[in-house]
Amino acid sequence: MILEILEWVGYGILAYFIVLQSYMFFLATRSAAVLRRSHHLNRFGRVGEMLSSHRVPPVSIIIPAYNEEQGIVDAIRSMAIVNYPRLEIVITNDGSTDQTLRRLIEAFDLERVRIPYRPDIQTAHVRAIYRTHSPIKITVVDKENAGRADALNAGINAARYPYALCTDADVILDAECLVKGMRHVVEDRERTITVGGNIRPLNGCTLELGHLVEARVPKKMIPRMQVLEYLRTFITSRPAWSALNALPLVSGAFGIWKRSAVIAVGGFTSGHFGEDMDLTMKMHRYHLEKEIPYRMVYEPGAVIWTEVPDTARVLKRQRIRWHRGLMTVVKDFKGLTFNPRYGKLGMITWPGMVLFEYFAPIIEFAGWFIIPLSIYFGVLNIPLMVVFIALAYGVGVINSLTAILVDESFGYYETPADVFRIVVMALIENFGFRQLTVVWRIRALFGGKKTKTWGNMERRGVANLSAKASQARSS
Amino acid sequence: MSAFEIAIAAMITMFAVSAALLVGVVVLKWVNGKRRRARERRHAAYLKLLSKHIAAPGSIEGLTFRQAGDDAFIDALIDIRHTLTGLATDELTQVLDRTELIAYQSARLRSRFPLGRRLRAVVSLAEIGDARAAKVLMEHLDDRVPEVRVQSARGLARMRYTPAIDIILQRFDTESPWVQTRFAESLALFGRDAVWPLTAYIRVHHQQGDVGITEMIRVLGVIGDSEVGPTLAELLYTVENVEVKIALIETLGIVGGPMALRPLRRMSQSSDWRVRAKTAAAFGEIGDPSVIPVLNEGLSDPSWWTRRNSAAALADLPGGLDVLYSALDSPDEFTRDAAAEALADSGELIAARDRLEAGGSDPRDMRLVGYMHQPTEAVA
Repeated sequence: MILEILEWVGYGILAYFIVLQSYMFFLATRSAAVLRRSHHLNRFGRVGEMLSSHRVPPVSIIIPAYNEEQGIVDAIRSMAIVNYPRLEIVITNDGSTDQTLRRLIEAFDLERVRIPYRPDIQTAHVRAIYRTHSPIKITVVDKENAGRADALNAGINAARYPYALCTDADVILDAECLVKGMRHVVEDRERTITVGGNIRPLNGCTLELGHLVEARVPKKMIPRMQVLEYLRTFITSRPAWSALNALPLVSGAFGIWKRSAVIAVGGFTSGHFGEDMDLTMKMHRYHLEKEIPYRMVYEPGAVIWTEVPDTARVLKRQRIRWHRGLMTVVKDFKGLTFNPRYGKLGMITWPGMVLFEYFAPIIEFAGWFIIPLSIYFGVLNIPLMVVFIALAYGVGVINSLTAILVDESFGYYETPADVFRIVVMALIENFGFRQLTVVWRIRALFGGKKTKTWGNMERRGVANLSAKASQARSS
Repeated sequence: MSAFEIAIAAMITMFAVSAALLVGVVVLKWVNGKRRRARERRHAAYLKLLSKHIAAPGSIEGLTFRQAGDDAFIDALIDIRHTLTGLATDELTQVLDRTELIAYQSARLRSRFPLGRRLRAVVSLAEIGDARAAKVLMEHLDDRVPEVRVQSARGLARMRYTPAIDIILQRFDTESPWVQTRFAESLALFGRDAVWPLTAYIRVHHQQGDVGITEMIRVLGVIGDSEVGPTLAELLYTVENVEVKIALIETLGIVGGPMALRPLRRMSQSSDWRVRAKTAAAFGEIGDPSVIPVLNEGLSDPSWWTRRNSAAALADLPGGLDVLYSALDSPDEFTRDAAAEALADSGELIAARDRLEAGGSDPRDMRLVGYMHQPTEAVA
């Protein structure tokens, strides 16, 4: 009897991975169609002309910062020259213990001011507000430390404009990213409450004066592997979810949010490890339960570049934090799973998230023990098992290659060598890297309750990346 | 066939697909890179040729109808077209005649597929703005693809083909908000030619209150013809829809002038805070100091936005700064902060600080600088 159960569990685990990869393949094919249309519109639609339109709503860029002295000034400079007609930048200094605030004050000639500050969302105490009088309005909210979510909420409180682009201090925005994202708001201002963007790893790229001048695939293995992961996520999953109006996640690094809608759901949840996913799901639930028509969109053309961890140690911390965030969201929104009341979100994307993101490491980890046990007891047909594993591997590789193929339409990586490097990652990621991420995510299950919500990225800073690139060229 | 054999067959298929994709990715990258570089080279060569032709007409012997379908050539032509201001369009017409570009791209636009090629065609025709393309662009104002309709309208506006105005207006109601927005931009490109058709449309439809009508009203603001001020002011008395009211107030702020003050004063008493807030902003745009008492009242309005907009408007008016300085002593904390913010935004804070640093002792300067350095308190 036990052996029989073992046999079925073994086959079940193998079948699970084929279903998972098939689900990813379904998303990839749907996404390819969405991207094709989006690509045509971005290429020929002359979206930039929208800049002169009075219909384009003003946007506040909100940047939470904690100990970001290295790159904050260059990051803000790069954001200030984004092509968009009406813009303000709100930086929230979340009680940094380094020179972040001083660097900002000196670089932008900030002065302490009193401006109307409405605490629409409750936050930790705001100590002071600083503002510059340059043509680009820069406001710095200096507050006590309470984590990224709280800093974002303070930024939203201080924002003057109806839309807020919540991003990070270590990103480089593509010049057209805001106009491409806000196109969806102009398209349907009443219903559009969120627009997510396409995030790409910055490591290995060449920067000049806070601008990306050459996109390259990083030479180091860890960030290179993440290039492939980001491609799979942002090229082959999100467009399909967006087409279903059931995005389960708008990434924290680039999300344009309707300010009033964020306030209506109480803002980002303070102290949450996955505050971006939590807010996305809260917005869905609020609008679906109140039967308010809404749209949450992903725009693949709205590209931003962010530093990704380049050591296993930092990546491990990031993945543990992400998985803990996911665990909390899954727990908080368990009522949505396979609940027809929540439409496509409840029936397709959220169950997909729970089954293929939350449970995946648990099932895979269990498989590492159950399958060898089954083989040991002779209850598993080895040739059949090999075929199953090969099938799962094959579909996985096809998914990755499809993502790389579709990404070609963006044309960011110009040399065949770069593409070749990512292709190699697609072939080898299942041999070591994948297992490592499984262990980290399993580790997240036994973490205890830490309240720290700022990831310790050990950033080299946007400015340092620029400097390094210049040095490399001159040598 | 056993389950095992089926699985083996599936596995082989899978690997064959993977291998094909793998080869496909690398080959595609190589081909795309090669094509891109070749296109950049051709684009540069065409730019050189066309510039030479504009400077010294007659050097386009090398051009034939083959170039009509070459993206590099079209891009070069569009780049050159953007740099011209109507002086050298005869030379450009010669190029278009020689390459038969208008006929070629018109035929592409009329074909049903593929989408990318049709979009390329309509954008080319719209950007080049040659009058011979007007007919084909008119035909596509009701195309099945929204972006083709948008670009057709834009092209017609660029060539100031006025018969298109009525057609665009007729289609307006049936379009999505996105297409309406883009159509509105095109209507603004027609300039004063579009003012009276738009005014007539607004007069007839102003009670509808949909997105389209507010868009039309705002287009009048973009065109900026003050002759429409009285008509819009008159509509403000009768219109009921709040969105339309707001659009009228915003536009009157731009084109209304002093004649708009009377209806706007009435709007400042509206029960809707959005109307009051927009009215305060419009007063600032018009710049007539006679509204200072109204804006002073606005500083103690129950609505947050009305108070903020009133303070900002006062900063734009002659004599308004005095009112803002007085408001620094208001019992309402938010009014004080809004006044201080408006004073800072108008440059008064920097000026006050400079005066104090230069040895001045104006109590108003000291009050403003001192106030700004108090800690911020949240206002519920």
